[in-house]
Amino acid sequence: MARTSMARRQAVRGLLAAGITLLSVGSWLPADAQAQTVKIGYAISRTGPFAAGAQISQEPNYILWAEQVNAAGGLNVKGKRMKVELVGYDDRSEVETAVRTYEKLMGSDKVDLILPPWGTGMNFAVMPLMQKYGYPMLAPTATGRKLLSMKNPYFFALLQQPDLMMIALAEFMKARRVETAAVVHVDELFGLEQMSALEAALKEKGIRIVEKKSYPIGVKDLQPVLNDIKSKNPDAFIALSYPPDTFLITGQSREVGFNPKLFYASVGTAFPVYRDKMGPAAEGVMGLGSWNPKMSPAAKAYFDAHVARWKKEPDRWASAHAWAGLQILQQAVEKAGLDRKALRDTIASGEFNTVIGKIRFRNGENVSTPGVVSQWQGGEFEIVWPPDRATSPALHPKPRFR
Amino acid sequence: MIFWFELVAGGLITGGIYAVVAMGLNLQYGLMRIMNISHGEFLMLGAYFTWLAHTVLGLSPLVALPFVMAGLFALGLGVYWVCFRRITRTAPSVEVIEARSLLVGFGLMFLVQNAAYLAWGADLRGYSYLAEPLQVAGLRFSANRLVVFAFALAASLALLAALRWTLLGKAVRAMMQSPTGAQLLGIDTRLLHPVVFGAGLALAGAAGALLSMVYEISPSMGEPYTVTALIVITLGGLGSATGCLLGGLLLGLIEAFGMHYTSPSLKMLLSYGVLIAVLLARPKGLFAR
Repeated sequence: MARTSMARRQAVRGLLAAGITLLSVGSWLPADAQAQTVKIGYAISRTGPFAAGAQISQEPNYILWAEQVNAAGGLNVKGKRMKVELVGYDDRSEVETAVRTYEKLMGSDKVDLILPPWGTGMNFAVMPLMQKYGYPMLAPTATGRKLLSMKNPYFFALLQQPDLMMIALAEFMKARRVETAAVVHVDELFGLEQMSALEAALKEKGIRIVEKKSYPIGVKDLQPVLNDIKSKNPDAFIALSYPPDTFLITGQSREVGFNPKLFYASVGTAFPVYRDKMGPAAEGVMGLGSWNPKMSPAAKAYFDAHVARWKKEPDRWASAHAWAGLQILQQAVEKAGLDRKALRDTIASGEFNTVIGKIRFRNGENVSTPGVVSQWQGGEFEIVWPPDRATSPALHPKPRFR
Repeated sequence: MIFWFELVAGGLITGGIYAVVAMGLNLQYGLMRIMNISHGEFLMLGAYFTWLAHTVLGLSPLVALPFVMAGLFALGLGVYWVCFRRITRTAPSVEVIEARSLLVGFGLMFLVQNAAYLAWGADLRGYSYLAEPLQVAGLRFSANRLVVFAFALAASLALLAALRWTLLGKAVRAMMQSPTGAQLLGIDTRLLHPVVFGAGLALAGAAGALLSMVYEISPSMGEPYTVTALIVITLGGLGSATGCLLGGLLLGLIEAFGMHYTSPSLKMLLSYGVLIAVLLARPKGLFAR
């Protein structure tokens, strides 16, 4: 009995000793490896209501990019190759969690670089931290003049601003002699800002709004509203909508046989799942988009790499902007290294070649990518406006819902 | 004229969807006082199973429906065995069952939701099925919504009949009124309890299967449906199958007319306003006895 307990004690001691040795080995090994890696931290929604958007447009690109960079020998830091190590956390779609995580990443973990969270609200919440700790942030899923009006020197918005997108739409409508429009918008910062941009753009082009209605997030039925609008018979219907309602509005318009000459819905139309869920009803629907694989060989290469890695297509709006943000970061690090002040200045003053074309910033705004109108045609979200960027002529009037 | 018919019919169909969503929880909370706050999560599971059956196996969602229900019924027996058996056995009163099951339900909610994130990721998923508009008496509806509505009617009536006229139904109601009394009369509550709980989960699965034809799905889709279900069964009266159906339909109609006369943005205000009004006038719900 005594012997067994003795033996056990020895065994435990042996294990402990082995553990301590391992630990001490472990503590100096990464330190050595650390010198060779660039730590890039971020918080993003993997769970909760924002997860769908974040996992469609943003995080898959981070991971794909890091893998590609490492496979090519590492990130070029002023001529020196260093492996990229992503440190990603789930912000659970909670603003406080995102803020705390970025505090930790920049304040105590002292990562080398950061990548942005998903969504306008999240970016808005963590922006002040970027300025406090001096980390440049290239945000692919944040829109709104409100963010830019903060004049935060470390914040760069990759997406086209609402006014650009709405002016492009109004220009297209004017060119096709659309005279009246009905609008619904989601009762939320995004919907309100798009709405005021759209009203201004339509007024300037002399297009009359015959009906406008707002609706709350999470609505499950809009048939009464669509019936009302159908009875007013507008030339164009514009929904400034979020993903669940974008699907709902399309499905129910088809249901009530509402067939305006122009049918536009906003966030979510660019998702491949929109085409899959809507089937033939997607044909001719216009929406917020920015690119597609037909645009350039670079876009095609990005598209193919994404499909090969994730077995799913990237969305035709923010995904490529996320990729462009990573490309800009990569080019800036090559030039300025990991000195974040120099890095910020390089991003702010330079011009960069990206998957969506050349990008230059002025006061944090991407002033190179124009407002775009896209339209589903035979399974691809074609760019139909402006003419010099179009990948296909517009289908106008839109074919009736099938 | 046709416009008003459309408004009423649209409201009824949405109401039917609400009733389907609420039916499963009505069994669990209404009849057993198990406050299964993870109801929406099991609905989500039903939606995912149907989506998988449709996209991977090529099964029609309507063919998959009975399998999904059977699967969730079995899962329900398991969940009951692991989580709720002890609670219902040891709780001194139904109020205690309510409070304890609420906590367990919260845990289940996170567990099931995160399991779905692990299994399928956070992407929106969806498929197109029976989305063609149908012309019925001059009114237009998508076929899949009509299917949901028909299921709501049929299932509610079946449930109503079963609870009222079958021996099993009477046993279930007896168990609800007095667990001890029921046992004294020879009703095997140890068998009946898990079966009713499982049936609740099976109905949640059926609702998910049907909704996956109409809406797109994601692991976080469940929570709003739990809230809808709670409103509907409170409105209709806990445990009442008629109340669940009529409560759902009423809510759908109020929302349809409310949206027409005011703004869709006031939808939540209207729903909760009606709920509060009903609770003030009839604290036990519209159809409680």
